[in-house]
Amino acid sequence: MPKIAIDPVTRIEGHLRVEAQVDGGQVKDAWASSTMFRGIELILKNRDPRDAWAFAQRI
Amino acid sequence: MGEGKDLRDSSPTVYQALRQRGVSRRDFMKFCSLMAATLALPASFAPKIAEALEKAKRPSLVWLEFQDCCGNTESFLRASNPTVVDIVLDVLSVDYHETIMAPAGKDAEKSLQDVVKNQKGKYICVVEGAIPTRDGGVYCCVGGRAAIDIAKEVCGNSLATIAMGACAWDGGIPSANPNPTGAVGVKDVISGVPIINLPGCPANVVNLTGTVVHYLTFGSLPLTDNNGAPLFGYGTRIHDACQRRAHYDAGRYVRQWGDEGHRNGWCLYYMGCKGPETYKNCPTAQWNDRTSWPVGAGHNCIGCASPKFWDTMTPFYSRLAAIPGFGVESTADKVGLGLAIATAAGVTAHAIARAGRKHIRHEDEEKTAKTEGK
Repeated sequence: MPKIAIDPVTRIEGHLRVEAQVDGGQVKDAWASSTMFRGIELILKNRDPRDAWAFAQRI
Repeated sequence: MGEGKDLRDSSPTVYQALRQRGVSRRDFMKFCSLMAATLALPASFAPKIAEALEKAKRPSLVWLEFQDCCGNTESFLRASNPTVVDIVLDVLSVDYHETIMAPAGKDAEKSLQDVVKNQKGKYICVVEGAIPTRDGGVYCCVGGRAAIDIAKEVCGNSLATIAMGACAWDGGIPSANPNPTGAVGVKDVISGVPIINLPGCPANVVNLTGTVVHYLTFGSLPLTDNNGAPLFGYGTRIHDACQRRAHYDAGRYVRQWGDEGHRNGWCLYYMGCKGPETYKNCPTAQWNDRTSWPVGAGHNCIGCASPKFWDTMTPFYSRLAAIPGFGVESTADKVGLGLAIATAAGVTAHAIARAGRKHIRHEDEEKTAKTEGK
């Protein structure tokens, strides 16, 4: 079965890749993956809780 | 910048593009005045900028997004009022920008490759977001390629690269302790092309436009400070241009959110304001069609244009221990009183006495608070 990939998906905020398995013009299976990771949760650990909004807001 | 002439050889000119879009001559001149002000030039330079933009061709611009939150794109798209949005989008020919472009996937990648191939050394590359270096750069990929590889190719073949925002400048939030992905700024992995840094979280679009207009007008990139940031936008300390500065000098401070001082727009130093250590044109350039800015709206400056500010300027609500320039022992009250006395020549003795009284009262309050704390 042929597989198509759309990467980058544009007009969205962030990075996204979509792969789809196509059979006879019909999508049989599909996968979406976010292709960027920063680890904001790890960065937030052990910080002043009053600052959390500023970090989490930057997601 | 010997290739500047080449940049101006594609069509149409900035001014023609603007007229086609229905921007009036009057709005165009207003924009030129805004640019003169932004670039810290005398108002007499506005006609010079106008003359240059009438002749200059629109430079191609590609906008790369890596480890970002899109905040600089938001800043870019909110370029002041609608007219200025038109102007900015017409001054710059934006040929690749994932968030706003129509093509996706392979077609999008082709747009980028076309610019890199056909306009090698002639286009401006704007980078938003940090570049991860750990584990072969897998933490940010676009079109199956690692950000670091894309940056090397696209930035490396540009006329100049503009690092827009804290992340592209020095790694920003992804590089904050413990920097899980080994994130760095553009300057850490790219060499051989001029890089202009626009620190800030986000950077102000007026400084991006200012940089490009400076190039189109004078044929050179603007002078920069030791961070590689344009002096016109980052040469003034926020504290020195702050609208609340008079309150600081007079010893009038906000002590608690919502208190009398906060309601009256007093100085936010004790609430953790980082304005005394931060250099950016926020107080004058402002945001949202020059409506306001964080300190104007009643929140302390978080120092977002300072190096590694997520680690060096936090906790955001703890006050700076000392203010540079006045000695490490000076507290805000003492500095405020000192300045009040220094400017006493033009001030009545009554005013000095009032500042003094406030100063003494604040110290008493601090002593009381400390005693109570024990």
